[in-house]
Amino acid sequence: MDIDMLLYRGALLAYLLSTLTYIFSLLIRRVSPARAATWMLTGAFGLHTLFFIVQWLGKGYNPFLRIHDILSCFAWVMAGVYLTFQLRTKTRVLGAFVSPVVFVLMIVSSIGIGGSMTVPEVLKGGLVTIHAMLSVVGEALFAVASVAGFVYLIQDGLIKSKKSNKFIKLFPSLQDLDRINHFCLLWGVPLLTLGVVAGSIWARTVWGSHWQWDPKQIWTLTAWLIYAVLLHQRLAIGWKGHKTAMLSVAAFVLLLATLLVEKSFFTTIHRFY
Amino acid sequence: MNLILIGMNHKTAPVEIRERLSIACNEGFNPLDEIKAIPGVGEALYLSTCNRVEILARTQEHTDAEEGLKSMIYRHGNLGEEDMARCLYVYRDSAAIRHLFRVAASLDSLIMGEPQILGQVKEAYRLAVDHQAAGVILNKLLHRAFRVAKRVRTETGIASHAVSVSYAAVELAKKIFGNLKGKKVLLIGAGEMSELAARHLIKHGGDQIFVTNRTHERAIQMAADFQGVPVDFDHIGDSLREVDIVISSTGATGYILTYDMVAAVLKRRKNRLLFLIDIAVPRDIDPRAGDIDNVYLYNMDNLQDIADDNMQIRRGEAEKGELIVAAETDRYIEWFNTLTVVPTIVSLKEKATGIIHAELERANGWLRNLREEDREGVEILANAIVNKILHDPMTCLKEESQEGSALAYVAAIRRLFRLDGSRDSE
Repeated sequence: MDIDMLLYRGALLAYLLSTLTYIFSLLIRRVSPARAATWMLTGAFGLHTLFFIVQWLGKGYNPFLRIHDILSCFAWVMAGVYLTFQLRTKTRVLGAFVSPVVFVLMIVSSIGIGGSMTVPEVLKGGLVTIHAMLSVVGEALFAVASVAGFVYLIQDGLIKSKKSNKFIKLFPSLQDLDRINHFCLLWGVPLLTLGVVAGSIWARTVWGSHWQWDPKQIWTLTAWLIYAVLLHQRLAIGWKGHKTAMLSVAAFVLLLATLLVEKSFFTTIHRFY
Repeated sequence: MNLILIGMNHKTAPVEIRERLSIACNEGFNPLDEIKAIPGVGEALYLSTCNRVEILARTQEHTDAEEGLKSMIYRHGNLGEEDMARCLYVYRDSAAIRHLFRVAASLDSLIMGEPQILGQVKEAYRLAVDHQAAGVILNKLLHRAFRVAKRVRTETGIASHAVSVSYAAVELAKKIFGNLKGKKVLLIGAGEMSELAARHLIKHGGDQIFVTNRTHERAIQMAADFQGVPVDFDHIGDSLREVDIVISSTGATGYILTYDMVAAVLKRRKNRLLFLIDIAVPRDIDPRAGDIDNVYLYNMDNLQDIADDNMQIRRGEAEKGELIVAAETDRYIEWFNTLTVVPTIVSLKEKATGIIHAELERANGWLRNLREEDREGVEILANAIVNKILHDPMTCLKEESQEGSALAYVAAIRRLFRLDGSRDSE
């Protein structure tokens, strides 16, 4: 087996271990296993990073062209963003919610990873990579914002219930979770904006027009709109805490649902393999 | 083992009796010197806190040390023997070890898991060392006790849940705001409980305190206490915009903060999280205010319930602590049992090497005729034979000491090998 695939499997295994350890931490309601899980997640992230580097240097692969690679990139960005927050704030147990998502993404991506690599004509161009990279990072940030929002809602409910509960102690503080939401929206919206712009410029070059009323395009624009509005409300009107957390989660669920509907019932020209 | 622990605590003795003893010990005399002077007492530790007075001593066998200790306590307790005896508990050997471990680990405390007791035990031990009242046995015992306390603290959740109202409030504040650094606190009205909670908040990073009261002079006075800022009572709404945590405890009969006030304030503060603590009875803050998004309202009963629940959690955790104490007690006894065996083995080895040296010395006459390598060979052989012979009895001795029945074997070996010199040879 090639070294890059070895790294990939190692990362996959480490993501699994970290997920299981995080779940164990939740089950026994103690933070100490989560500490170990954070290290495992860091290890997994490291292996995953090496995988990209080796692929890039060794085989000249571009991880932003094929759907499996893009999923793996998505997972990688989510893990990276979470770990960065972990360094800055005490949000350790948030990992118990990020790590499983990352692992599932990796499993889905692993089905087709490492296959043959023939790039269709339509994707040959620097703008495509930029378009995919910015969109992936932007959407991964939204995913982290939503996970943080989900945990926020749980913690908010626990504190409002006015009962003693070991989970209150375990979960991060509301303010830290809200800060993550804020940061992810603040960076996610402009990145996705640039990604969409890059994509539409490229679409003009290869398809002749910026906009094709393609289901995938509509989906992306909807996502962009929802999060842009959310960010606007946050910054201008001061929506904070409970409301933004709820809307972040709702937006993400809605987008996942429409993505599934789109995938099953519509054909899109935005699919290349 | 001859360990004895005599004492009284909050469960067995009313405070009047406990304080008699500890006052007498603090002022009139030095308890350690007096305890050491009791015939038969080898080592001693004296521990006195608000909730307990304990004397731990290692005594010599077949002495009246226990009676001596008791009569000393009766004398200083200045109370009838019967009354005193009812308050006292006496633990011996393993029970005494277990009790000491439980005390150090705060399993025996009035507020289970409170951290001060370990410091007090350490201080008591330091005094015992200063007064040369601690020897091999107590040194080891106390160091073990410190370790037990640390284990119980880190391996169980006994100390990790707030069991007082004001600490429960601080913990909640931390779970809302993460870090209390830079958070502003508004105190409405005066009161012991609210001031205590405010002090805890400041201790954990709370930044600025605003104080308001119906009588402005009182607010100024309190603000001076906290190095805070007095606020006009009629302009509470303005300071509500600034602060993060509000502690209210006025004697007012109606609501000081109504639902509409809080809802309006929240808009003006751009929905920044607000933690309201209402410890007034009757309540100062409309309970419906807690339904507003990003507002967290706790009243006295809520906080008390949490503190009670946490106490329940601590009790559950204490059971794990008891297991640790039991295991560590066994370990200490194990160590104690080898202690008597170890010197026996050492003197057995000394005797054997003594014999080898003496015999080699005696055989020097003909050994001289051998080549140097052969002489060394003979020495090695002699050592090997003796070691082989002693190996099994020594292993057996070590094993028996684990079972706790080593004393008989130790006695036998000492007698068979005449390890105690001429005294036994009579």
